Formats: sequence, C-alpha cells, structure tokens
Amino acid sequence: MIAVRHWGRNSVLAPICWVDIFRCRRVGRCFRHNQQKRRQRRPFTLSSPYRSEIQTSSAWWLLLPALSVLAFVGVLPLLTIFNYSFFDIFTLESRYWIGTEWYREILSSSRFFESLLRSLVFSAIILSIQIPLGVFIALLLPRDGKLSMALLMMLALPLMVPWNTVPSMWVSFLGDPAGFGGRLLAMLGIDFDYKFNALHTWILLVAMDTWHWIGLVVILCYSSLSTIPPAHYQAAAIDGASRLQVFRFVELPKMSAVLMMALLLRFMDSFMIYTEAFRVNAGGPKDATTFLSLDLGEEIAAFNYGPAAARSIIYFMIVLAIAWSFRTIMNIRRDQSLGVGQR
Amino acid sequence: MMRASSKSSGLKTAAVTLFLFMVVCFTMLPFFQMVVLSFTSTLPRDGIVQGQFSTINFRNILASPLLSGSIVNSIVYVTLNVVITILVALPAAYAISRYRFAGDRHVFLLLIAFRITPPVVLTLPVFILFAKVGLVNSPLGIALVHCVFNIPIAIWILESFISAVPKELDETAFLDGYSLPRYFVKQLLPLIASGVGVTAFFCFMFSWVEVVFARILTVTGGKPITMAINTLYGFRTDIGLVMAMTLVSLIPGLAVIYFIRNHIAKGFVVRS
Repeated sequence: MIAVRHWGRNSVLAPICWVDIFRCRRVGRCFRHNQQKRRQRRPFTLSSPYRSEIQTSSAWWLLLPALSVLAFVGVLPLLTIFNYSFFDIFTLESRYWIGTEWYREILSSSRFFESLLRSLVFSAIILSIQIPLGVFIALLLPRDGKLSMALLMMLALPLMVPWNTVPSMWVSFLGDPAGFGGRLLAMLGIDFDYKFNALHTWILLVAMDTWHWIGLVVILCYSSLSTIPPAHYQAAAIDGASRLQVFRFVELPKMSAVLMMALLLRFMDSFMIYTEAFRVNAGGPKDATTFLSLDLGEEIAAFNYGPAAARSIIYFMIVLAIAWSFRTIMNIRRDQSLGVGQR
Repeated sequence: MMRASSKSSGLKTAAVTLFLFMVVCFTMLPFFQMVVLSFTSTLPRDGIVQGQFSTINFRNILASPLLSGSIVNSIVYVTLNVVITILVALPAAYAISRYRFAGDRHVFLLLIAFRITPPVVLTLPVFILFAKVGLVNSPLGIALVHCVFNIPIAIWILESFISAVPKELDETAFLDGYSLPRYFVKQLLPLIASGVGVTAFFCFMFSWVEVVFARILTVTGGKPITMAINTLYGFRTDIGLVMAMTLVSLIPGLAVIYFIRNHIAKGFVVRS
C-alpha cells in the first residue's frame, strides 16, 4: 500500500495500481484516478470495485412525490412568471405581447445596478462576518456537556422569532432611546440614529441579521464537528500538529459540506433580504438600504405584473448563476484537495 | 515551564469564557427587552399608567379571536408542512442515496436551485395559481408552498443519514424477503429517527417564521402568527402587544429546540 507507483495510460500494469489510489496524490494525472473519475461521472456503468450501486431507473419513482410537489409549487409558478415577463398586463385577461422590453428597461436603469451592488455588498458583509464567527463559536463550544447544550439552544432561539418582529425587537432594543441597547449607546456617548444616518442603518441591519442567523451556522458546524472521532484528534496530537493544522486538516474537511450548506442558505437569505430591511427603514435613508428585493416588493405592491415578472426572472437568474458558480468552484477545489478515491 | 503553560491555559479559558459570555449577552439582550416590553402597557389606557408593569397584552391576546386563532393556524400549517415534507423527502433521499441513475447529479443541483429560489420571486404566480385551485386562505396552501424550500433541505439532510446506514443492511433485508416499503418502515426508519428529528427541526424553523408566502396566501382568513402580528402594525403600533405575541410564538419553537437538542449535539454530516 505504501508504494505509490504511477503507471502510464497505456501500460499493461495499469490495472494493478488501483490499490494505491488511496494514497495517490497525482489527481488528474494518474491513470486510475481518471478512470475512477470517469466511472463516477458517467451514469451508465457497471458497478465499480468500490461501490456496488444498483443501476436502475426505478429510482425516479421514489423521487416522483417530491418532484411533483416541487413542480406544482416551484416550476409551474416560475413558468407562469416567465410567460408574464413578455407581456404588458393591465388585467390578467387583457395583455399585450411586448417581447423583451421589460428586461431592457430594467437592465438599462442605473437604479437596478445600484440595488444589485448594495445587495451584493450586504451579502458579502454578512457572509464574511457570520461564517467565520459561527465556525469560531462552534469550535469554542465543548463537544459535550450541559453548558454547550444550553448555549446551543440559546443560539437557536433567534431562529424561531417571526421575521417581521425581528426588526421591531431590534428597533425597540437599539434604536429606541428607552431600550437597553439605546441607553447603553447613549451612556457611551454614541448618537445612534438609524433613521437618518445610512451607516447606522447598515450597522443595525448587519447586527440584526447576525443575531438572527448566527445560530444556524453554529448548529450546522457544531453538529458536523461532533462526528469527528476522538482518535483523529489523538492522531493529530501524536503527530505534533498545531491547533491551526488540526483545524485545517481534521476539522475543516469534516465541516466543508455543512459550510457549503450554510454559505448557500446565508447567501440566498441575505441577498434577498426583504422583511427585515423593509421594516427597519423601508430602504432609506435616501435609498441607502434599497436592496433588490425591495424594488421588487414595490412593483408587486403596485400590481405591475409585467415588470415584476421580468424582475423576478432576472433575480432568479442572478441567484442561480452565483450559486452554481459557487458550487462548481467548491467541487473543483474538493476534487483537488481530496484524492478522488477517498470518499 | 509547567506553571507558565498552566497560567497561559488559564488565561485562555478566561478569554474563551469572556467571549462566550459576550455571545450570550448579544443573543439574550434583545429577548430580555422583548420580555420586558411584553409585560408593559405601551399605549395610554384607562386605569393603567403607560409604561407600567401589566399583563394587559396577554389578556388582549386571549380576548382577540384573530390573535389567539392565529396560533392554531400556525401550528396546523407547520405540522402539515413538516408531515408532507418528510413523507415525500424520505423516498427521494433513499433513491439519491442508494441508486445510481441517469441524471442523479442533476437532481441534486435542481434541488439546490429550488432551495435558493427567492420567495419574493414566486409570490405573484403562486397567488394566482393557488387562487385558481382554491388554496388561498387555507393552511394547506401555506403548507404546500413552504415545501418549495423545505423539501430540498429535507432531502439533503435525510440523504446523509440514510447514506450513513450500511448498504449491507438493505441487501440482507431484501434477501430475508422484506419488500422495500416494509424494510423502510420496519428497519431503516428506526435507524434514522434522529435524522427525521433534525429534518423536522429545520422544516419547522424555516416554515414557522416565514412571512412572504404567508402574507400573499392569507388575504382574509387563516392568518398565521406572523400575519396576525402584521395586522398590529399601524399608525399607533402597540409594541407591547407585538412583543407579547412574539413571546407566545416562541413557545412552540422553544419546545421543538428542547426535543431536538440531543440529536443536534449527536451530530450529523451532510453530503457536499
């Protein structure tokens, strides 16, 4: 097992080197690696030596219930809205085909790009605060014991607060001079004015969102951390690994999938933040917190079916494109860092 | 040497404790504010001084059929949603975990696409569609539409739990003459019970607090807690009543967290 030999693609000895693949680091260059990769990617193959999956199309029957519910509440509405986006709609009965005019109108307005930029910046701030902080808290919590259980439960509590009262809670806590946070800020001599100071509105939104969602990141990270067997830590200690190395080579690989989930969830929800931002300052002051979804909310509230539909499709495409590229990058990086044979 | 290291580890413990204490404060202070406000009379009323301790807000909840009814509505639609989601997600997760089939990788990407579809995008057509089939103002409508983000999450989590069960178990059971449904209920389900629990927790969490779909689908009746709270906002918002309602809405959430605490701590890995 220790001998790591790399046989050429055409070598007659190639078939016997698969044993070594578990230690092989030459991803993409080793013949067996490529062979196995091809097996994994290609749906119709005989079962590989490592996995004996059943090749069947009856799996679709098991997927059918889930997919039909999703088709009804997901695909059908999306198709409807895609159709609407090409019409000028007065009422749903009388509508006029206008082609891609709504799209051109939205994509040529500077307001759209300003909102897009604000949403992107907001998501970037949220992700760069919440993901590291969440990982950090999860690492600090002891793996067992009553205390960390209590802390976890406490961190999960904000997740259960209705989204439309989260802003009220924070406004009465921090924005109101009579609130505890407001009084604390006044004592520190900070004149906190979230209504008219754009920076303060942003701070309030970021603090509020972090308070609301940090529990999700912590719970996800903590739960994957607690699946690491103690033996891994002992092995790392014997090897004299530093704390950083333990994190990088023991903990991070275990968390990568869960972090992916947390990143996707947090990205989507912060990118499309609506209720919270609207309740705090309705996009103000002077449009400083007008995010993409607030523009869309305005169109829907005004019953502009056509533009609202076109806008929805554009947003959907943006989110899809970002998530897809994100996932692709993660997949490539994972394939590179892990041997493909180690699953 | 020993003393120096024990000293530094003592310092470290102190720093960690301080940090966690700050996290606790950050998390709990807004709740503290909420509880205080919910027991305060925040509007001028006869017989009660504004700002005085009072249970008037909770009495108002009980007196208002809209508010107390909304709690029932919320519980009904969330339960429906969790049941539907888990029922359809279990076979799907099993299929993704156990079978290779044409397009299996794409199914997963498709699921992610559904999870990240912004609710605001779907509101308009969902309303038109549900109005046609008569699902507006009914808890079933909200339960169904919340499936769009809960089913992908449920499949994602359940798939990882099912994959953790060795495949030999399936094969032995099938050799013993178990049919797939019987094997599923008799053997697999008890093994992944904590996975079902964790899934239920996530479904509950995303569904209980959701606002955008709930608003568009409850025009005249069947309002859940979130929408009942929305009706309280106005020119002169009774913030005490809002906070009291929030406090009440937290109780089921707290119960769910309490039941699920051990499963969360036991840990789970999801597939990337």
